[in-house]
Amino acid sequence: MSILVDIQHVSKKYKDAPRAAVNDLSLIINKGDVFGLLGPNGAGKTTFISMLCGLFPPTKGDIYINGQTHKTHSKECKQVIGVVPQEIALYPKLTAWENLMFLGHMYGLSGSSLKEKIKENLRILGLEENTHQKVLSYSGGMKRRVNLIAGLLHNPQLLILDEPTVGVDVQSKQAIIEHLKKLNKENGMTVLYTSHHLDEAEDFCSHIAIIDDGKLITQGATKQLITDNHCQSIEEVYLKITGVKFRDK
Amino acid sequence: MKLLYSIYKEYKVLTRDKAGLAITFIMPTVLILIITLIQDTTFRSVNEASVPLLIVDRDHDSLSNTLEKSLIHSKFFVITKKQLTDEETKKEIATGHFFIGIIIPENTSKKLREKSSDRISKLLGSFSGDSTLVEDAHDTTKLNVQLYFDPITKKSFKTTISNSIERIISQIEMQSMMSSLNEKMKESFPLATPAKLETTPLVNLTEEYASYNNSTIIPNSVQHNVPAWTLFAMFFICIPLAGNIIKERDDGSAFRLLTMPGSYMIVILGKMLTYVVVSLIQFALMLCVGVFILPLLGLPELNIGNNLPVLFLVAFSSGLAATGFGLLVGTIATSHDQASLFGAVFVIILAAIGGIWVPTFVMPEVMKKIAVISPMNWGLEAFYGIFLRNFGLKEIFPEVAKLLAFFAASLGGSFLYQKYKRLK
Repeated sequence: MSILVDIQHVSKKYKDAPRAAVNDLSLIINKGDVFGLLGPNGAGKTTFISMLCGLFPPTKGDIYINGQTHKTHSKECKQVIGVVPQEIALYPKLTAWENLMFLGHMYGLSGSSLKEKIKENLRILGLEENTHQKVLSYSGGMKRRVNLIAGLLHNPQLLILDEPTVGVDVQSKQAIIEHLKKLNKENGMTVLYTSHHLDEAEDFCSHIAIIDDGKLITQGATKQLITDNHCQSIEEVYLKITGVKFRDK
Repeated sequence: MKLLYSIYKEYKVLTRDKAGLAITFIMPTVLILIITLIQDTTFRSVNEASVPLLIVDRDHDSLSNTLEKSLIHSKFFVITKKQLTDEETKKEIATGHFFIGIIIPENTSKKLREKSSDRISKLLGSFSGDSTLVEDAHDTTKLNVQLYFDPITKKSFKTTISNSIERIISQIEMQSMMSSLNEKMKESFPLATPAKLETTPLVNLTEEYASYNNSTIIPNSVQHNVPAWTLFAMFFICIPLAGNIIKERDDGSAFRLLTMPGSYMIVILGKMLTYVVVSLIQFALMLCVGVFILPLLGLPELNIGNNLPVLFLVAFSSGLAATGFGLLVGTIATSHDQASLFGAVFVIILAAIGGIWVPTFVMPEVMKKIAVISPMNWGLEAFYGIFLRNFGLKEIFPEVAKLLAFFAASLGGSFLYQKYKRLK
């Protein structure tokens, strides 16, 4: 398997923060992986994803995407990535179609190929009939599905999903996960997924990394992690590693 | 293409925000209408003002009649005549029913004629060698015309009014003296048929407002309030623009846009251009209000000068400065509430010191010096130049340059602050 993302001893310390948000983190994501990044609140997941997306540079270490770094090849690195933020990053007063057309153009897409791509995704995720309704009138699940499509328009090699199924109904959750599995299987799309739904992560991810206090605690193939830790599920592994104390930060 | 689509998206978002649009366009219209109507009388020059004046005429003779005619002729006063006691007259003035009260005592005209006649007799007697007339003690008693002023009257205005009335009385005195002289001369030369003495002033005072490029427009409330409140509304755009930026940041849209290949500046540029166009539409609408609506309310019509390209340049520069400021507020503020509060308070302060509410020409010297730090003052001065002095590009260039520099500084400040936050 070839390497898509290579994280080498990456640290990030915000000015005035008492400790590093990410501390000497190294990991590899291979092409075609569905990689789960798990950790309690404040573990450093968002900081890590932000650096991976090129929003700000690490204080130390390097991030390679397809062998290139944001420092020297920002445009190429960003072209590889599709992001689905935890928030519904859409314009409520625009329709789904208008939102996706705008975001498609911002990815540099245009014309009939963009329109076809939008239509196809809306059809697959069951939003065909609501295409020209304002997002404002959508249910939480419908908004999540449009949010997902927005990250897929430019056929990214790496799709970064931050809590993609939070607060959605079972049917929408099922539709989102099934669509992602299909994209991974048929198109070889690599997925980096963060969630607090550990059963969903166990079902969906081929590999899992658990981070805490900015450090990588463990990583490996999902089934291997369960076996190595003598547990029945990822949830058990997670609690065994991160403890049962509240993480109210 | 990205820029065009970014503008299109902003256009769609804006046009679907009916409440926001209403505030953007209705607020300045209402402000212009209300403030112009309120300030109209204040802005009218003193010559056009109508000062309520009470005459208590106990004389009923030539002096009171001539004084009344002269006061009416000056178009300075709205005259009411009443028969009141001194105390009643004072009360009328003190309670604000009249601005000025004049009491002309009984027999003032008769006494004036007598005094004039005496003085002329003395003068002529000195020529004829009648020493008894000359050696008589000088008559130092004066006739008294009592003036009462409203206590709120400014000293400068009181002096102006007193001088005007004094000048009228002096003319009456002069006429009385001339009349006495005429009579005495007739007595001395009964067969002569003298020509009527011309009493028209020998020196004419030519007054004119100093103007530029043959423009003869004088300031009025419309010429101040239309550009002033349009600038205020343009700068108020900082609140929806900052809100738009903060909303994108809060809902993750900015995060998503920043992860896309290509510059996020295109998205910001699209926003700014859209808001500049909105500010230009605001400006055009407000000019229409000044030209077409205000005259229907009995206010003067806005004269927009002859230099439309320069007018557009000033409006465009002001729009850029306003959107640049909005961008800065949106970048620095951490929440919508903070942006609304900070933006509104700052715009109001800039408006107050910049001469939007109270024009700088009536401000104290210290405030006139402070006013020049406000971008709204730069815009207003440029509009004054075009509307009142027929200025061209050369004359308004310093103001335009300041507005553009403010825009560049705001843009640079936003960029540096954003960079600082990302690298923190």
